[in-house]
Amino acid sequence: MRKSLLALLPFLVTAADAADGAAFNRDIRPLLADNCFHCHGPDPGTRKAGLRLDTEAGFFAPRVDKKGKEEPPTVIKGQPDKSSLYLRMLSKDEDEVMPPPETHKKLKPAEIALVRRWIEQGAPWQPHWSLVAPQATTPPKSSDDAWAKNPVDRFIRAKLDAAGLKPAPEADAATLIRRVSLDVTGLPPSPALLAKHLPKDGARLSDTQLSALIDELMALPAYGEHRARYWLDAARYADSHGLHFDAYREMWPYRDWVVKAYNDNLPFDQFTVWQLAGDLLPNPTEEQRIATGLQRCNVTTNEGGTIVEENLANYAADRVQTMGWVYLGLTTNCAQCHDHKFDPFSQKDFYSMAAFFRNTTQGGLDGNVKDGRGPVLYLPSAADRPRWDALPAEIARGNQQVAEARKAGAPLFEQWFATAKPADLDADIPAKDLVARLALNDGKGLPAGTTAAGAPIEWMKAGKTGPAPVFKKGSHLVLGDAGNFRTKQAFSAAAWIKADKTEGTGAIIARMDDPKQAQGWNFFQAGKNLGVYVISKWPDDAIKVTTSRNPLNTAYQHVSFTYDGSGKAAGVKIYVNGVLAETRAEIDKLKTDTQAATPTRLGQRSQSEAFHGSIQDVFLYARALEPGEVTTLAKLAGLRQSLAGKPNAQQKEALREHFLLNRHAPFKVAANAVAKLTAEQMTIRNRSPLTHVQEEKMNSPAMADILIRGAYDKKGEAVAAEIPAALGKLPADAPKNRLGLANWIVSEANPLTARVIVNRMWQELFGTGLVKTSEDFGIMGTPPSHPELLDWLAIDFRTHGWDMKRFYRQLLTSATYRQAALVTKEKLEKDRDNALLSRGPRFRMDAEMLRDQALAVSGTLSPRMGGPGTKPYQPENIWEVVGVGIQVYKADQGENLYRRSLYNYWRRMAPPASLDLFNAPSREVSCVRRDRTNTPLQALVMLNDPQYVEAARILAQHTLRDGGDDLARLDAAARRVLCRPLKPAETAILTDSLGRLRAHYVAKPDDAAALLGVGDAKSDDKLPRPELAAWTMLCGQLLNLDEILNK
Amino acid sequence: MSILHEWNQLQTRRRFLGKGANVLGAAALTSLLGRTMADAAPGAISPQHLPKAKRVIYLHMVGGPAQMDLFDYKPKMKEMFDKDLPASIRNGQRLTTMTSGQARFPIAPSRFEFSQFGQCGMWLNSELLPNLGKHADEICWMRSLNTEAINHEPAICAMQTGNQITGRPCLGSWASYGLGSENDNLPNFVVLIATPTNRDQEQAISSRLWSSGYLPGEHAGVSFRSKGDPILFINNPPGVPDDLRKQTIDGINQLNRLNYEAVGDPETHTRIKQYEMAFRMQASVPELTDLAKEPEHVFKLYGEEARKRGSFANSVLMARRLVERGVRFVQIYHNNWDHHSNVNGRMRSQCKDIDQPCHALIEDLKQRGMFDDTLIIWGGEFGRTIYSQGGLTKENYGRDHHPRCFSMWMAGGGAKGGQIYGETDEFSYNIVKDPLPINDFHATVLHLLGYDHERFTYKYQGLDQKLTGVLPTKVVKALVA
Repeated sequence: MRKSLLALLPFLVTAADAADGAAFNRDIRPLLADNCFHCHGPDPGTRKAGLRLDTEAGFFAPRVDKKGKEEPPTVIKGQPDKSSLYLRMLSKDEDEVMPPPETHKKLKPAEIALVRRWIEQGAPWQPHWSLVAPQATTPPKSSDDAWAKNPVDRFIRAKLDAAGLKPAPEADAATLIRRVSLDVTGLPPSPALLAKHLPKDGARLSDTQLSALIDELMALPAYGEHRARYWLDAARYADSHGLHFDAYREMWPYRDWVVKAYNDNLPFDQFTVWQLAGDLLPNPTEEQRIATGLQRCNVTTNEGGTIVEENLANYAADRVQTMGWVYLGLTTNCAQCHDHKFDPFSQKDFYSMAAFFRNTTQGGLDGNVKDGRGPVLYLPSAADRPRWDALPAEIARGNQQVAEARKAGAPLFEQWFATAKPADLDADIPAKDLVARLALNDGKGLPAGTTAAGAPIEWMKAGKTGPAPVFKKGSHLVLGDAGNFRTKQAFSAAAWIKADKTEGTGAIIARMDDPKQAQGWNFFQAGKNLGVYVISKWPDDAIKVTTSRNPLNTAYQHVSFTYDGSGKAAGVKIYVNGVLAETRAEIDKLKTDTQAATPTRLGQRSQSEAFHGSIQDVFLYARALEPGEVTTLAKLAGLRQSLAGKPNAQQKEALREHFLLNRHAPFKVAANAVAKLTAEQMTIRNRSPLTHVQEEKMNSPAMADILIRGAYDKKGEAVAAEIPAALGKLPADAPKNRLGLANWIVSEANPLTARVIVNRMWQELFGTGLVKTSEDFGIMGTPPSHPELLDWLAIDFRTHGWDMKRFYRQLLTSATYRQAALVTKEKLEKDRDNALLSRGPRFRMDAEMLRDQALAVSGTLSPRMGGPGTKPYQPENIWEVVGVGIQVYKADQGENLYRRSLYNYWRRMAPPASLDLFNAPSREVSCVRRDRTNTPLQALVMLNDPQYVEAARILAQHTLRDGGDDLARLDAAARRVLCRPLKPAETAILTDSLGRLRAHYVAKPDDAAALLGVGDAKSDDKLPRPELAAWTMLCGQLLNLDEILNK
Repeated sequence: MSILHEWNQLQTRRRFLGKGANVLGAAALTSLLGRTMADAAPGAISPQHLPKAKRVIYLHMVGGPAQMDLFDYKPKMKEMFDKDLPASIRNGQRLTTMTSGQARFPIAPSRFEFSQFGQCGMWLNSELLPNLGKHADEICWMRSLNTEAINHEPAICAMQTGNQITGRPCLGSWASYGLGSENDNLPNFVVLIATPTNRDQEQAISSRLWSSGYLPGEHAGVSFRSKGDPILFINNPPGVPDDLRKQTIDGINQLNRLNYEAVGDPETHTRIKQYEMAFRMQASVPELTDLAKEPEHVFKLYGEEARKRGSFANSVLMARRLVERGVRFVQIYHNNWDHHSNVNGRMRSQCKDIDQPCHALIEDLKQRGMFDDTLIIWGGEFGRTIYSQGGLTKENYGRDHHPRCFSMWMAGGGAKGGQIYGETDEFSYNIVKDPLPINDFHATVLHLLGYDHERFTYKYQGLDQKLTGVLPTKVVKALVA
């Protein structure tokens, strides 16, 4: 009876298993977890009757009922009919039966039979497999040890033997070369590489030949790029912040570091420690700090109205979740709100882990700016490094001199202050090269020499320095010839402004000739930023500099710029309220020295770009003001007011600074010197890449509050940073911070990480991990298909110095990996998903590999590595419809269209469309295992995306240029794409296709021209168009073959 | 999952995939659905009781419409103009940081005219929603929705997926997962983003809202776009007419069949189906999106705006064409309801965008005999405050986010017409009768689709995941006809 029941349960027990009875980890715990743990698991919040079935004691310790009376244990070994666990499952009584009817869960008779059998066997209990340290095992004997190339194969073969399966024959050399090349570099073999390694006689690759191939491929930089791609999914790397505006985040130096780390074969333990705690290592190197970017890749927000504390709680929770999936194979996120229902991971554990990641200097709002408001690391170019390194000390020395001069000048100030009057301050207005000054504060007429244009200008009562003129569309002020500056002449401007809104663009003060390609100069508002144009001819003979950190608001602000006449963007400085603002050079291409013919205006260019708001107290100078002079202009209005009344201590201090800056030469010299050094530092910073890093608050211990039900404002007990209790404790002498955590992660005391990481490396090559749920090694995850092999690999990896290249090599050289991907009826029945590895790996490649492959076989792939995200072709309106505000995707031109997909600019709200459709993750959360679906939309990408159409055309161009007749060309194209010659039946189909295509394009030359126009790269005019069009379509067919979409 | 369920599921799927009966075909089938057979999704798929609705059109008003200016009539507020909101009403309510710094919370009564509509006597903004009012007795009015979220991103996420944290599947994906497809050539779940006339203060919408979360990838919404190709990459490159495309696909498939004979991988079979389906989709979408054949009276009904690609009226008309062709779930987003200021100015154009088209949709579906089994849902992610944000005059004011109560409506598909459910206090601040949490609302929608929210599950991370989460949740029978 039992046997026949079991036979009905193919998913639970195979026929082979039935013979050796029920194993606790394999059969019983999953069953109990699924049906009982919700009420009898690790979470005390939902636990009923005090009964736990997730611990050994829960089964076998005597129990006490409600009245305190002792009851027998839930399980009596060997006696199912006396064990309440079994009896309650059998019960017909609605109040007795387990699980109770209201749970909608019901055990099948065969499952209950398994429980009976287990108890009969003496109820052998096992702790959950992944929480026990990996066990050293000897590779088993198999039916054919000669087959094995290394120990991996003996584990695989033994399982095949048990299932009555034989391995597939070894793949032919060309297939294997393609597979290895794709797995090591993510790219198909180049024709040259294939020719070099392909044995001439049609033989299989020898061990030596395979080894030489792997050596050559692993030495290529493409190796690191390919490996990094997997890691960046796990790290949730992207080029945007992720929420609300989803604005640009500069993070790519971290991405490039990951590539480099793989290429350097940085051992995995160091790779891990640097990323988790590089900043806490003694005297961390720049690389070690960049590596901490792993923890800064999480989604952040700047949504108005969100609460900083809540955002910070979310960021920390995301880091714990990522940590769980990437390193521990635990789904920790369940425990954010309550103790885990299945795994021994409590809410306290969650917040103890969160504590490691909360003690940082990061703020809760990213500001929608590329540095996310820090902490970041600037990475100046080699040319800038010497000054960058020298500046901090120079600035410190300068500040010392400023302080000394301040002290020395103090008595002089007191003397002046005793009698000073507001009008005295006017003497401090810089007079040299002042070409115009407009107070605009009397509320009446216009200053002499100016004319109002368009509608009359209105005045508002309360300006900054008296009634102020209000500008809007249709009203502006013409200043005439003042400000008639050349584009390579030094000049400056300053004013008080109050913008009506922080959207749109408008000229504050400008001398710019719209019809004449915007010749002239313009100091303008652009949303929350200010900018300066100096233009001889837009856009190729021009400078455009804008502030980068949204300094503008709708209150009165003093704004100014100075330009040194150098013709370089670096010569432009913008100040807000007298303080130098961070800027970026958007265009830096001024060549010729010109002068605009139109008059200077307030509130508009010659015709366009009206400023909305008020402008007052305008100064124009025909030279670049010193930083100190800018400060003076910005402060005067306030200082006059202070002096008119009775200055308080703070105001007096401001007056003293002003006095010293203008009337005490040693101070003036020192202050201007420091300002220049600071400006130099800022200039270098503005042109340097930056990357987000993790930075510990040094004055507080790593702690976190338990948040009740995960709510940021419902604080429970405060907990210190600690690893999950079920995994032990940090060593007593370990630092209780991220460094302590990192060291534990890669220590032998941690049973999980080595297994988790070897499983993912296995998954990369074989498509599925030995543990299929590579993110979940917990009780509800899939148990390993080859537990002994998993342990063996974990120990092997760790004891060989966490050497990743060695590890991959071991798998790549195994007989298991070398098998042909041949499917037979028997294998389909017994090993449909290839979990037993009865054949070689064959599965649809990831999005990036498909795109890179098309670029590679067409010879268009750029070898350039690293740098900011690239923007290849993308359909219109992908970015525009997401996020707040409208960001327009503008595709790059030239080389960046053909870079590896790893470098694609990743905007989280709208990841690259063609990759997204092939299951590339959005990178909003960590992903260690991609979906692999096949949808019609993917076929549309391969057939219609300009990237693939263009690649097909370029492949066709190569094929036609190489010459030969149709057959020779077909063969050449096939060898490039498939890495093998065509079979006769294939040639026949393709020849037929070619004939039809040729007929079409000869008859419809316009169609040919239209098709050849797809893509940025010009089509080869020397080739006849109809012929090239026909071959383009034919090459497109090759690029769409199942064989090509699969590894 | 029982064998029967699996078989049921395959039957439904098979219609999307065309025929395919042998073992390999079935394997190909499951693979095309993004999973291997061993994973075949647990949880019930066939309806668990007789469904009332076969399809859904969900109109989401992004930004959070002000309930007291549209549906939640509060006449007493007239007398309280510019008076402070009593502290007893606010009662420690969490505010966004946009108004938490305000010195006062002055009451802003709605400046719009209200009157009663239909037998049910529903009070509506009669200035701005006269057309919608015609259907008062066919609409199920809900005035007691409430949410935990107070900012847009988490609130929209909660409204769509039942959880503030991103990453769960949305209602549309669940519906697709359950209902399967009635159409061989189109996706189950389509998303349309309507462009509002006024775009002052749009909020973020992102594809994460219609990603399939942990459900298999094919249940993700397919976004039909209002510019360029209606479906990504649906159009052939220039110079490739349809017959040539057909020929190339035939060639690809012939070669793939050879490869299948040599290697024997069922995945290759999938590939062949995949390319055939892609071609069918290419062939059917132009007809779908071409409104030229719609008769004049249809444009009269929906309004001239319906001719403008991407407008709300156009999107609603497109939704009708989609459901007519068997699409199960159409999600439309209409933005710019985030009225922190200038309610008077902005509410008018918002309502002008939606009033006639909503009326037209109901009318049109009725004419086609589809109203009774098509569920229409209208609503935002939260409500707005009775007190003014920023300057207050009798004519104009702004309103901040308010999660404690907001209004939505449903029509058709088994929703109870003329029902007015839930009540708020005279400030439209707290619910005084029949609170309707989002999870209960979701449970009710699933009920109308024929599913018991407790048993309509998907196994993920070892748990039977469901749309309605872990807290106690109930179907609100009062909303069901």
